[in-house]
Amino acid sequence: MDFVGNLALGFSVALTPFNLVMAVAGVTIGILIGALPGVGPPSGVAMLLPLTFGMEPTSGIIMLAALYAGTMYGGTITAVLINTPGESASVVTCLDGYQMALQGRAGHALGIAAIGSFIAGTVGVVLLMLVSPLLARWSLSFGPPETFALMLLGLTTVTLLTGDDPLKGYISMALGLVLAMVGFDIISGEARYGFGIPEMMDGVDFLPVAIGLFGLGEVLVGAEAAAGAQVVQGRLGLRDALPRWADVVRTRWSIFRGTVFGFLVGVLPGAGPTVASFLAYTTEKRLSKHPERFGRGAIEGVAAPESANNAAATAAMVPMLTLGIPGSATTAIMLGGLMMWGLRPGPMLFEKNPQFVWGLIASQYIANVLLLILSTLFIPLFVRALRVPYSILMPLIIVFCVTGAYSLKNSLWDVGTMLVFGGVGYLMKKLGYSPAALVLALVLGPLAERALRQSLIISDAGLGILFLRPIAAVLTVAALLAIVVPLGRALLKALRARRPA
Amino acid sequence: MRAADRIAAVLLLAFSAAFAAGALKYYKWWGDEGPGPAFMPFWLGLLMALLAGILLVRSLREKAPGAAWLPQGAGLRRMLAVLALTVAFVAALKTTGMVLGTALFLGAIVRYLGRHRWWVCGAVAAAAAGFNWLVFVHWLRVPMPAGPFGF
Repeated sequence: MDFVGNLALGFSVALTPFNLVMAVAGVTIGILIGALPGVGPPSGVAMLLPLTFGMEPTSGIIMLAALYAGTMYGGTITAVLINTPGESASVVTCLDGYQMALQGRAGHALGIAAIGSFIAGTVGVVLLMLVSPLLARWSLSFGPPETFALMLLGLTTVTLLTGDDPLKGYISMALGLVLAMVGFDIISGEARYGFGIPEMMDGVDFLPVAIGLFGLGEVLVGAEAAAGAQVVQGRLGLRDALPRWADVVRTRWSIFRGTVFGFLVGVLPGAGPTVASFLAYTTEKRLSKHPERFGRGAIEGVAAPESANNAAATAAMVPMLTLGIPGSATTAIMLGGLMMWGLRPGPMLFEKNPQFVWGLIASQYIANVLLLILSTLFIPLFVRALRVPYSILMPLIIVFCVTGAYSLKNSLWDVGTMLVFGGVGYLMKKLGYSPAALVLALVLGPLAERALRQSLIISDAGLGILFLRPIAAVLTVAALLAIVVPLGRALLKALRARRPA
Repeated sequence: MRAADRIAAVLLLAFSAAFAAGALKYYKWWGDEGPGPAFMPFWLGLLMALLAGILLVRSLREKAPGAAWLPQGAGLRRMLAVLALTVAFVAALKTTGMVLGTALFLGAIVRYLGRHRWWVCGAVAAAAAGFNWLVFVHWLRVPMPAGPFGF
């Protein structure tokens, strides 16, 4: 078994003191960032990515992956105690988690979320470890048509799943692709849409855009809504947050189902933790003998979605690492990070950079253990952090966005880009567009363009190549369905509405 | 929301038309081997025009004006103030330098948003500026814009 050898290699990388410190820092910062309402995983990863450029790529990704896992749990704290989701994957946790807190069972809710996250995260890494190498080997046979079809599928599913209005989602995606066209054309080397400005000719860098859209944009939305969140008062000492064995036994099947759903949904390009948590919650409610308990403090309503979102966050790494296709805004930003470190995500990553891949996998095991320890031992501390007023937190986030954007290339141009997209992000949020779709399209745009043009060269200019090769055909048809079905449904709805009642 | 959709749709239509036309005018449509640099931008412009067109038609047929989305009153003032202070902070970076600029910006904005006591604002500003210097300038060696005092 080469697993054992690879995993041993991974642990030897992940257990070096520096990487261990990075994992602890990642989980801690992640919990804090996840706990802040409005600042979610993509903002956290985008803001911290510049910090990692001074490190080895392996240490960098270990910190970011630990941070991702931490945010999933941090969002739960806010959902349970303030009834505001700290990030979108904790929206459903509010339903029953906050009710439990009102009944004085906040500790139970947080405890079961912690143990559920731990179980789901650990099972998720095991599956990640088993599935990724197979998928990587399989995708080695992918040519440009398959790659393009896969990217199309990733783009359309993210767009479909991240917003309420599919049309505005697709407009956001198109905008991202348009921005991706700026700069040097990969094939001919010609500079496009540069307007003679050197910084423009280099292309639109996705990181200042992401920091602006997710970091500054969210702060502006938060600045408008008067901040006066009320933390549920009451005793929440050390012992209250410890998971209870009876709760675990009672919810074991919910945790199990949440884990399985979470992983399956997370592996799909495009569908991330948020979708997984919704799916897990509705399934639990449907299977329950007492569905009326849901929304009134049912512990299964916390256990299942919290397990699902952690399993999905781990699973989202699978398509990113093996295919180079990010499944969510957060993994899109991580993917951009990989490319900046000079690593090429995709099947060859497993062959060429085993210490990177297996170090990351091993560190995920460690991150899950750390998450369980930190989340139970330091709950009182994190709860206190929630009491820091928004009027102090928001300005600090702005400063972090500015310094982060600057330190990418030591250029004020990037800071300007960040500012502009902060404004754009604010408007997009207010008007119902999808910043996540824009960022994903911006990252995938150049790769998709190259794959499409290479396909057309192979086929001698016929689009039929996307339908004639079996794998490409399945992926393309799935992607087209993701476009046609929601738009068709919207059309049907409009027609039905016109008919007199 | 209806008015906002109409404005957005018209702006997007104009932009995508210019984008697609610009592609054809300035870049090569077809190279020696296959599709050239104009190929993708042209189709993208068309795609976006189509999407914007659907948005326009949809918003024109909507009868209700929809929920108001423009912030009003105190919320609007707060948002604009935060935006203006941030822009001023960035614009002044070259003169003030990162460390001093951060401290000034934080002192002003924390005071404005939270009406905290002066010493609280000062402490937040000093701590964050110090942290910034330690991490970015000292540890990561990022050549931050330097201010009048050399940092």
